[in-house]
Amino acid sequence: MVGLQANYRNELYKIRKKKKLAAGSILSILAVLIGQVSATLINQNLGLLLVNSTELPLMILGVMMYSIFPLFITFLTIDMFNNEYNSNTMKLILTRPTSRFSIFTGKLLALFTVLMINIASVMILSLIIGIIFNFSSVTLIGITRSIIAYLVSLLPLITFTLFVVILANLVKSGNSVFFLTILSFIGMYVLGIIFHQASSFLFISMFDWYRLWISESIQWLKLLRMSLSMIGFSIMLYCIGYLLFERKVV
Amino acid sequence: MNEAIQFTNLTKLYNNGRGIDDLNLTVKQGEIFGFLGPNGAGKTTVMKLMTGLVQPTLGDVLIFGASVQHQFVQAMSHVGCLIETAESFQYLSAYENLSLSASFYEHVDAQRIHECLELTGLSQYAHEKTKKFSLGMKQRLGIANALLSNPKLLILDEPLNGLDVQGMLDMRYLIKKLSEEHGTTFFISSHLIHDVELTCNRIGIVLNSRLVSADTTDDILKNFSSLEQYFINEVERNGRITSQLSE
Repeated sequence: MVGLQANYRNELYKIRKKKKLAAGSILSILAVLIGQVSATLINQNLGLLLVNSTELPLMILGVMMYSIFPLFITFLTIDMFNNEYNSNTMKLILTRPTSRFSIFTGKLLALFTVLMINIASVMILSLIIGIIFNFSSVTLIGITRSIIAYLVSLLPLITFTLFVVILANLVKSGNSVFFLTILSFIGMYVLGIIFHQASSFLFISMFDWYRLWISESIQWLKLLRMSLSMIGFSIMLYCIGYLLFERKVV
Repeated sequence: MNEAIQFTNLTKLYNNGRGIDDLNLTVKQGEIFGFLGPNGAGKTTVMKLMTGLVQPTLGDVLIFGASVQHQFVQAMSHVGCLIETAESFQYLSAYENLSLSASFYEHVDAQRIHECLELTGLSQYAHEKTKKFSLGMKQRLGIANALLSNPKLLILDEPLNGLDVQGMLDMRYLIKKLSEEHGTTFFISSHLIHDVELTCNRIGIVLNSRLVSADTTDDILKNFSSLEQYFINEVERNGRITSQLSE
C-alpha cells in the first residue's frame, strides 16, 4: 500500500511538471471559448439560437469526446510508459522496493485522476460560460443533465485509457502507439456504424452513451447492459495491460 | 560474516547466445566484490537479474536471504543500484529526482537527500534541471540515487563512467569508507582494471557467460604482479580450455 501511494504521488508530480498537462488544459479552455464564440456569432448573424446556457456544456462534451479527451489520454499514456522505457527512466522505478503491480496501478490511478480533473474543468468552465452568455435560459434540470453527462462519460474514457496502455506496453515507439491508437479509434468507430448489432463490443461507439442518460425516456436495461459491458472490458484490458507490464524486460 | 548475495544456478541466455550461464557464487556482507569481464560477457545481465529487471531462465538470486524473484520488495529494500547508464527525469531538478526516489523509503527525509547531494558534490546544482547536466554530473546523481536509502548492498555497473580524476578518487574513498564503517556490501562491475584492483577486496571474472574464477585481491596479488596480469592469464587459460574442448 505504501508503494502504491508513493507511485501514485510520484506519477501525479511528474505529470504536473510536464508541459503536456498545461497544453491539454489550454486546448480544453480554447475549445470551450471557441464553442461559445461560434454559437454567439451564429446567433447574431443568422438569428439561429444554436445552444442555450445548459446546452453549451453538452455541445462541448460532444466535440471533446472525439478529439481532445482521447488525444490528451494518448499523449499522457505514451509519456508515462513509452517515453520512460525509451529514456531508461523506468529502471529508476522498477529497481525500488515496490512491486510492479503497485507501479502499474499507481500510474493508472494517476492517469484517471488527471482525466477526471480535465473533464471536471471543462464541465465547470463550459457551465460558467454558458450561464454568463445565456443567463435567461438557466435551469436546474439543465445543469443537472450536464453534470450527469460529464460524469458518465468518464467510464468509456477509462476503458479507452486501458486500451492505450496495452498498446504502450506492446509497441516500443511512442509515435507508433499514437498512430495505432488513432487507427484503432477510427476503425472501431466505423465498424460500430457498419455493424450496428456488434457496436456494444466496440467501446469507442459508446463514447456518446451520455445521450442515453439525459434523454427524455431513460432505457435503464440498455444502460445497465452497456455499463456492465464497459466494466467487463475495463477489467479485461487492465489484466492484459498488467500482464504485459509485469513481463516487460527493461 | 553473513551472506549478502547468493547466486544459485543463475542462468539467463538470450537468443544471440549471450547472457549468463549457471552462476553459483556467494558474496559476504561487507565485501567489495569486483565483477570483471570483456564487453558482452554477461556482467550487466547479472546485475539486471539481481535487481529484477530481467527474469532468469533458471536459478535464483538471494539478497540477504530474500529471493529477488519471489520476495522482490523485501530483497530490494536493502539495495541501492546504478545499472548501465545513470538516467534521471530530465524535466526535474536533481533534488526533485531524489525526492521521487525517497518516497519509497520511510526513513529518507530532506536532510538525507541533501547529505547525498553533498557526498556526490552536487549540492550547488540541487535545483537545476538535470537536462543541463554533463555526463559526469549525471553519473554523480545516479550514485546519489543509489546511496539515498543508505542500503546494505550497492550494485554499481561502471560507477566511474564519465567521472573526472577527482570524482574517481572521491568515489573510491566513499566505497571504502562505507564498507569499513557501515559494513556496506558492494557488487561492482568496471572496465577500469587498475581501479578495481585498488578498490575491491574480492574479484570475479566472467568470460563467455560463465564465471571462470573468484578470488580475493590479496591472494591474486600474491601470485601475479597486477590484476591486469591475472585477468590476461585467466582469459588465455579459458581460451585454451575452450579451444581444447572444441577440438
